[in-house]
Amino acid sequence: MARYGMVIDLKRCYGCYSCVMGCKQANHTPPGVFWSRVLRGEMGTYPNSVRQALPVLCNQCEEPDCMKVCPTGATYQTEDGIVRIDKNKCIGCKYCIMACPYGARYSVEEYKSYFPEGLPISDYEKFCMQAWEVKSGNGVSTKCDFCIDRRAGGKDPACVEVCPGKARVFGDLDDPESEISYLIKTKRGFVLRPEVGTEPKVYYLPPR
Amino acid sequence: MGSVKLEGQVQIEWRWLIAAYLFLAGVGGGAYLAGVIADLLGGPDWMTVSKIGVTLGLPCVLIGTLFLLADLGTPTNAWRVWMKPKTSWIARGTIIIVFFMIFAAIHMGWLVWPFGSQLADDASTRHLVGVLGAIFAFLTVIYTGLLLGYSQPIALWHTALLPVLFFFSAISTGIMAIMLIGGGLGVSMEQLGLLANVDAVLLVLELFVLIVFLYNAYRTVESRFSAKRILSGSVAPAFWLGVIACGLVLPFFLELQGGHGFTATLAAVLGLFGGLCLRFTVLAGGMISPIVASGFEFARVARPKDPMPAMGKLPPS
Repeated sequence: MARYGMVIDLKRCYGCYSCVMGCKQANHTPPGVFWSRVLRGEMGTYPNSVRQALPVLCNQCEEPDCMKVCPTGATYQTEDGIVRIDKNKCIGCKYCIMACPYGARYSVEEYKSYFPEGLPISDYEKFCMQAWEVKSGNGVSTKCDFCIDRRAGGKDPACVEVCPGKARVFGDLDDPESEISYLIKTKRGFVLRPEVGTEPKVYYLPPR
Repeated sequence: MGSVKLEGQVQIEWRWLIAAYLFLAGVGGGAYLAGVIADLLGGPDWMTVSKIGVTLGLPCVLIGTLFLLADLGTPTNAWRVWMKPKTSWIARGTIIIVFFMIFAAIHMGWLVWPFGSQLADDASTRHLVGVLGAIFAFLTVIYTGLLLGYSQPIALWHTALLPVLFFFSAISTGIMAIMLIGGGLGVSMEQLGLLANVDAVLLVLELFVLIVFLYNAYRTVESRFSAKRILSGSVAPAFWLGVIACGLVLPFFLELQGGHGFTATLAAVLGLFGGLCLRFTVLAGGMISPIVASGFEFARVARPKDPMPAMGKLPPS
């Protein structure tokens, strides 16, 4: 059985936010919801300072805290290790949003239009609202699922495909021959917040 | 990129509704605990105080749970909430408050139910029900602190001091609620005076725990921004005016004046308001600690207040 993971090479990321927009288009997320985000950091003081972008998304942890705190069992893991939410079981208590070490979960009461109030809602946005309602839903927790619909069609997740720096690699962590296993082993791959012990499956390669 | 400002990520999901629940569960559980203790230690003289405390338990927690339901995204699913008591504090907490409400209802029954007088006469049965109810009242009061403490990324909450803080605040606000309505229901002046003195001591203990809690938060790198947000940031008015002034300092000095009359009523009202502010301060101060990797401390880019100009008002070119 596959165990999907991702590698993000920070040397190659220049903080263009393409992954953020690609994710929004692929998953029809409403305003304020960012399943894929970019954080920024700065080290040192001028003139000896460096800036670095850090793309973050759901880490599809092996031992997810969000699943542990869920009172209803709405959060579950699929066989290939993806953490998903059963929107029919979620009660919208938002405890998982508090518990996620990566801030990867979002919940909205309603899909507000991206455009100023008073303007008619375009056909595209109507379609997005419907798609959001069908896949994720309002009032419940939502999160990245490594683009499960795109993968069913044989494509990579949207953030991987749109990345112009080719910083992201998606693959199977269980396969020792896969590109991401090779990268993690040979390029000093590390995970974020290892101290919380959730065993994340999104790895990063150091910025230098 | 020149003027990019980084900001910590504040939790915005749990605010006044949850604060109101935490406060009401504290008042209800605290008043019930105080009522049972008054019954166990005080004997027949303290029956009125005990009755008031026990009677406050159920309605306060029940109204509190309505706030919880109001906060849910899909309340129609709420019945699923106790599915996973093994790992989830919300599931455990639901079981705790349901048991508390059952015991509080039985205990309260001696006031309103037709066969209630039996319980009033039979002291040993009443004490048994009271102790069982008190166990769940205690759990009702502290489990919320454990619930928030389970959240690892919010370092302000990830401490064992939070249940202690909530416990002292709950007992103190519970006694204040008894004092508030006790004067009109025939509680003697000596008893009110004793309650006020006990409450004043509890306020000092609560202040001590609060200081340790915030000092600990400030000295911990992960929660320093939370502490700053509470002490001098946007939560500061609720903290300094609501928690410190209204909730702790003013009631302490007013309660030293005695347990009855206008000063005691004012002390109770201010103290209860302070209890609500304490819960809000703790919730609103919660910030997700920054992710540290490769020597960088990563944070979100602060977005402008009004990212989209109103129609027809384009920014000056």
